[in-house]
Amino acid sequence: VLVLVRSPLPRLRALLQRCWGRLERGLWPGVFGDHSLPLGPAVAVQGPALVPQGINGSGGSSAEAPRLLDSIVWMAAPKQRRTIEVNRCRRRHPTKLIEIKRNIDVCPECGNLKQKHVLCGYCYAKVKEETRLVRMEIHKKEGGPFNAPAVETVVLYEGEKPTEKDEGKRIIERARKRPSWFVQN
Amino acid sequence: SGAAWARGLLSWARPERWLASGSLFPLSCIHTSTSLQKIGKWEKKNRIVYPPQLPGEPRRPAEIYHCRREIKYSKDKMWYLAKLIKGMSIDQALAQLEFSDKKGAKVIKEVLLEAQEMAVRKHNVEFKSNLHIAESQTGRGRYVKRVRCHGKGMFGMMKISRCHYFVKLVEGPPPPPEPPRTGFEQAKEYVQQLRNRTLVHTL
Repeated sequence: VLVLVRSPLPRLRALLQRCWGRLERGLWPGVFGDHSLPLGPAVAVQGPALVPQGINGSGGSSAEAPRLLDSIVWMAAPKQRRTIEVNRCRRRHPTKLIEIKRNIDVCPECGNLKQKHVLCGYCYAKVKEETRLVRMEIHKKEGGPFNAPAVETVVLYEGEKPTEKDEGKRIIERARKRPSWFVQN
Repeated sequence: SGAAWARGLLSWARPERWLASGSLFPLSCIHTSTSLQKIGKWEKKNRIVYPPQLPGEPRRPAEIYHCRREIKYSKDKMWYLAKLIKGMSIDQALAQLEFSDKKGAKVIKEVLLEAQEMAVRKHNVEFKSNLHIAESQTGRGRYVKRVRCHGKGMFGMMKISRCHYFVKLVEGPPPPPEPPRTGFEQAKEYVQQLRNRTLVHTL
């Protein structure tokens, strides 16, 4: 619940009173949408005493407030409290409930669950970790930024020799057995 | 309260009690149980022990009650997840929760896994997949009111809400879903209601 509380800042109070004064005097016709008539008090009485004061705000115009509210439509507000039954009908409507997903399968590689149109999370994490280690090796070899050579890279695992196809390519060694999912050329 | 405290201290330090127990610190005065935290009703449901079943009776399925308190989430938002998994088998529920984007889904998944583990270890459940969710509910936790600052020095009060989550797992396959009521059934019921009418206050 939002409760706006007036803080005791004098400048703020003065600003609000100026706005209120402008509203009453009809100097702010654009606030309430398209009303052809300018704003004014519903009852017009001759006499200087009823001219509303400006900044000094003599008596926050308690007499003007009801007249202003009578003449125009104020902001939209709920008229009645919504009962819990009505609230429940809205909150528990079938469109608002979570639908059950029918696109969940089992990954054939690792056996974890995966969505049909998405990569398996476990396998992706596995590949990501291996890539991170390969990148660390590359970083060690290069030694700094902007040192990437203009040749292809080949990753070789334990017990693997570079073939004749790999001539002229940069070779990165990884000290482990080749993972089953990383297929060699 | 100062006098009461002093009296309490002196009552603890009675010399005749020391001589009787033979030790310097009489153990009967010390609280051994964690009585500061109230044990909730849901946790106590796991403690009921049924009498042994007779040979002819059908086997009573195992029931496991588990809950998590003071989860930092709204009870209304959590309710949608609880409604999703009501009546599902535990595998299906875990699958649905794994791919749900909601914050409460992760929490409920942890609770279900904990409950499954408890079932296998303590409640004599043979197969961990042979469980289904009989009840899953949310409750209101402790709310805390805080100030939310707006512009121009205005402020509003916001409430930081927490919730509890309760789940009851029962051994066995999930019960088949109720078939939706057909028009024919409704018509039959209406005709039956008409036939049940009698004359009152007559001979």
